Amino acid sequence: MTSLIVRPQVVSRVAGAKAGRSRVPAAVVLILLGIVALAALPYLFGPYEQQVGYRILQLGALATAWNLLAGYGGLVSLGSAAFVGIGAYTATELGNALRWPLPVLLLAAAGAAAGFAVLVSPAMFRLRGLYFTVGTLALAEALRILMVDLPTFGGAGGIVLRTPTPAAYALYWWALGVAVVSTTVVLSIMATPMSLSLRAVRDDEDVARQLGVFTFWTKLGAFAVSAALIGIVGGLQAAKLGVIEPYGAFGLSWTVDIVAVAIIGGMGTRAGPWIGAVFVVLLAEFLQDYPGIHLAITGAVLIAVIRFAPQGLSGAAASALARLRDGWPGRAAR
Amino acid sequence: MHLTAGSELIQATSNGLLLGGLFALTALGLSLVLGVMRLVNLVHGEFVIVGSYLATVLLDSAGLDPLLALPLVALLAGGLAYPVQRLLLQPLARHGEQAPLLTTFALSVIAQNLLILGFTGDTRSIDRPYTRTSVALGPVTLPVIYLIAFAIALAVCAAVHVLVAHSRFGRRLRAASEDPDAAAVIGVPVARLHAITYALGGAIAGLSGALVGMAFSFTPTSGTQYLLTGFAVVVLGGLGSVKGTLLGGVLLGVAESWGALALGDGYRMLVGLVVFLILLAVRPQGLFGRAA
Repeated sequence: MTSLIVRPQVVSRVAGAKAGRSRVPAAVVLILLGIVALAALPYLFGPYEQQVGYRILQLGALATAWNLLAGYGGLVSLGSAAFVGIGAYTATELGNALRWPLPVLLLAAAGAAAGFAVLVSPAMFRLRGLYFTVGTLALAEALRILMVDLPTFGGAGGIVLRTPTPAAYALYWWALGVAVVSTTVVLSIMATPMSLSLRAVRDDEDVARQLGVFTFWTKLGAFAVSAALIGIVGGLQAAKLGVIEPYGAFGLSWTVDIVAVAIIGGMGTRAGPWIGAVFVVLLAEFLQDYPGIHLAITGAVLIAVIRFAPQGLSGAAASALARLRDGWPGRAAR
Repeated sequence: MHLTAGSELIQATSNGLLLGGLFALTALGLSLVLGVMRLVNLVHGEFVIVGSYLATVLLDSAGLDPLLALPLVALLAGGLAYPVQRLLLQPLARHGEQAPLLTTFALSVIAQNLLILGFTGDTRSIDRPYTRTSVALGPVTLPVIYLIAFAIALAVCAAVHVLVAHSRFGRRLRAASEDPDAAAVIGVPVARLHAITYALGGAIAGLSGALVGMAFSFTPTSGTQYLLTGFAVVVLGGLGSVKGTLLGGVLLGVAESWGALALGDGYRMLVGLVVFLILLAVRPQGLFGRAA
């Protein structure tokens, strides 16, 4: 009886393994080669390219972290700026007080951001769907205003990091490292059963709970990991700038960038954050001469993608490829 | 000493009460759109601030007094909101709840950017004789503009209440809000009602923005603040009721004024947000009551 039920899955799994056997190591090799090529960039190009590369890696890492929560978990957060800011302030304060090396500071930034996520999760998870989104937005704004008003952390003027700022090429390598860590963590999580729990929560939280998914812990895990990965980026940004102040570190523009990158690239897809990061950063460079309308154009692209390519550029590319290969309309990439 | 503290408290309470009326007015459009369309309109704050700039432009270029310009500002803001709903939000009606939400988020980014482009990021305020004077009423001194704003807020809230509760339009609106599919079956033009509701929300937001511009200073990015204040009011007052919105506004106004009195004026907005977050966590049914 049981074997009858299981058989189709086994068949499909075997078929999948056969088809994929030669492809999976190739993909890994390709990714490793890509990382090596990216690491060589400072030897081949100047500071401008390193700067653009840093920005792409930064936004890609942020969007990867956001994608875990929003794309796979369905928890659309507009509070990412809070975790960037917490990471930046943690790294700066601890760097000044204890002179820890950068990797330790980044770990501390991750820990502080995750800790804050855990702290606010009981309140935030009482909010479902749209209300979670609004709640996270209010939380991030409240934190920014608090940091402006509170004199403890330098108030509106901010604080100066009293350790030397790494050189441009070193920062680029750090960003590459952070991007690899962020992607590896998210992909590893997506390879565990938590991936299924997370998607079940996204599709219908009540049904997921009735089926025995620990919905609270699943959401908490995704929220904390996502926050930690965003906090690391914030810590690195503090090391890059050397000076942080609440309007920048907790600024809504972080959230805008992350949402734009993740959605334009494709929510809930593996490659989406990276396709989005490259697109958004290159668009920004292309519009360099018109800084006044750069955000408006990004917003317009965002609206067009939401309307005409709900799976983002990576979803649109995947279904176009599938159409080419199969000769009929491809399925959604999700 | 004790007497001073007492009179300060009375002063803060009456200021908060009056400002609360204005908060209710800035939130009313948000509440309508959320209640009728189930749409979290993240560009709502920008409609408020667009109202502030419209009033500024009408005053500077045509010499039109902002108080006389209120109907025109409302009309223009509503005229701006209508095509936004028709062209950008309506087509997403069947795309789930995230697509329209994120579209309004992108719209708010675009609007802020265009406002900075058109008016620079400088802080502005609308200066008229009645925005500078105060009147003494017994133990308290009240800015005239707070009194004017409160009166106009009451009048607009009353008008919207009558419209929603007692008109044919209001009956259809409530039907479309309760159950859009059933309403459509009995011949309610749900899509058009949604467009009109969105335009009405934009119009009220713009009108409230003109008053905000007279009572406070503003920048192109001030909209976020009024969006969040609006949500706080909606949560405090419960969704979809004009009376609740008014009550929520007054409660928030008083809470913020007390907070500013206790902690310093810089903490005014923070107190509002913290009240909002605590309420969200403790009493989310204020939001979910009718959605469930």
